[in-house]
Amino acid sequence: MGVLENKARARLFYKYLSKVYDTINPFIWNDEMRDEALSLLDIPEGARVLDVGCGTGFATEGLLRYTDNVHGLDQSIHQMEKAFEKFGKHDRVRFYRGDAERLPFQDNSFDVVWSSGSIEYWPNPVDALEEFRRVVKPGNKVLVVGPDYPRSSAMQAVADSIMLFYDADEADRMFEEAGFVDIEHHIQQAYPGSPKAITTIARAPE
Amino acid sequence: MKESLMDVICCPIDKSDLELTVDERDDEEIIAGTLTCTECGETYPIEDGIPNLLPPDMRDEATA
Repeated sequence: MGVLENKARARLFYKYLSKVYDTINPFIWNDEMRDEALSLLDIPEGARVLDVGCGTGFATEGLLRYTDNVHGLDQSIHQMEKAFEKFGKHDRVRFYRGDAERLPFQDNSFDVVWSSGSIEYWPNPVDALEEFRRVVKPGNKVLVVGPDYPRSSAMQAVADSIMLFYDADEADRMFEEAGFVDIEHHIQQAYPGSPKAITTIARAPE
Repeated sequence: MKESLMDVICCPIDKSDLELTVDERDDEEIIAGTLTCTECGETYPIEDGIPNLLPPDMRDEATA
């Protein structure tokens, strides 16, 4: 591939990053991918679920189809205001402002911990994953969706300079370091050629 | 914030229990108040019903 092509792709990549990553973009993460990820978890009715980095509530909406006990945490009240419009402020979802790396929840508080489109912003992802392990009940699962590490070198350079990207090996390392077991990955993609999402499911040890 | 959530939340820094002071309530729902860590004494506001449990070093930068 020529330099210009690479640059064009990098520019496209950059454009989508800056514009899109604040909310979850249907170009990289759409309803179908979310629903597929949800089906991997098999959330029982009544399960208490934590949505870390709930933002505008895109994943929250999917989680509510499985259980009415959803808790959403985000650091930005402005992002959450869009979620308040969808679900009410004090109605279907319990909302909190908080930091993924220092969760304000007691040990073993949740049946499931979910986080999509948030890990790329965490300065210390392993710290956040350790917190997920702490707050999820022993033996239970967490699911994290992040951007898969791009294959082409131009995209990698852009990716490295902006935010965290990782591949399955790196995800294994992070989840293992955070103390998880039974770590599995699913690469999801909205369209051929669009950036891929990496969905990791892992279990807290008994 | 529902009062029953006191069983779920804790201080984000040292994970100790929080103590609730209510300024305004609507039945089960705490509209305004303060959560105080029983260990380190850090306080966390409940603003318009949403507990702000960001650690103090993140409160300013996260307002945007």
